[in-house]
Amino acid sequence: MNLDDELRSAMRREDPPLGFTQRVIARAQSKPVQKPAMFRMIWAAGLAAMMVVGFTAASEYRQVKAERAASQAVTALRIAAAKLNMTRDKVLKLEN
Amino acid sequence: MRKLLITVLLVGCAAAQLPAQIRITGLDGLASKAKESVDITLDSTMLQAAGGFLGGNNKEKDAVKLKELLSGLKSISVRSFEFKEDGQYRIEDLDPIRAQLRAPGWSKIVSVTEEKELTEIYMRTDQGKVAGFAIIAAEPKELTVVAIEGAIDLNDLSKLGGLGIPSIPIPNQGKGNDKDRNKKGKEE
Repeated sequence: MNLDDELRSAMRREDPPLGFTQRVIARAQSKPVQKPAMFRMIWAAGLAAMMVVGFTAASEYRQVKAERAASQAVTALRIAAAKLNMTRDKVLKLEN
Repeated sequence: MRKLLITVLLVGCAAAQLPAQIRITGLDGLASKAKESVDITLDSTMLQAAGGFLGGNNKEKDAVKLKELLSGLKSISVRSFEFKEDGQYRIEDLDPIRAQLRAPGWSKIVSVTEEKELTEIYMRTDQGKVAGFAIIAAEPKELTVVAIEGAIDLNDLSKLGGLGIPSIPIPNQGKGNDKDRNKKGKEE
């Protein structure tokens, strides 16, 4: 078989298999494939969960930080008040 | 370019006039020698957070008072050391802090010097109102420095008894008796 014959054989017109048109129309009319939608839902749920965890952790961190700051502020004021009291007592002792 | 230069100069002058925040320096090496030490530094953001926590979770009267007190403050710094033995620090260690407290705006209102003990209270006023407060209390086995920036009423501070803060009646605060106390208390 020469080249011309090979090309002619390869390029010859062929009819589609039986039922091909119906299958194409049926596929086109059917609903989108479920897999990508499911994937999007899982992705969205994961993102939402991550956001909830992130916000909760940030809120918890702020709360802990504020609690620690409050504790330190009370300690600092307690020390300041105690030293103020001590100084006052010393001054009163000197006055008397 | 000229406008920029003028702006920079004006900002520089304004910054130079602002009294710098007291930095408790020169005491870093004492923590390792101390039996107990306290190192607290709270800026305005932290104080705001602390006030929010106290106001949000505890509506008790003292907590509300404490929140009010904190709302006027810009910063609190406390360094306190308790030693097992005498002579763990030198009074000269306090020089960097005392030098800062000699800056314009600050005045020493009480100074008591006893044997091996020194207690000083400084105050900074701005337009007739207390804008800063510092205590240096040096005892043989204990050294405490407190620096508070912002509007603070010492009577309010003394009234905060509910949170374990001792009640300290301070007679006639800011009504002229400071001079008398200073005069009698000073031995320097």
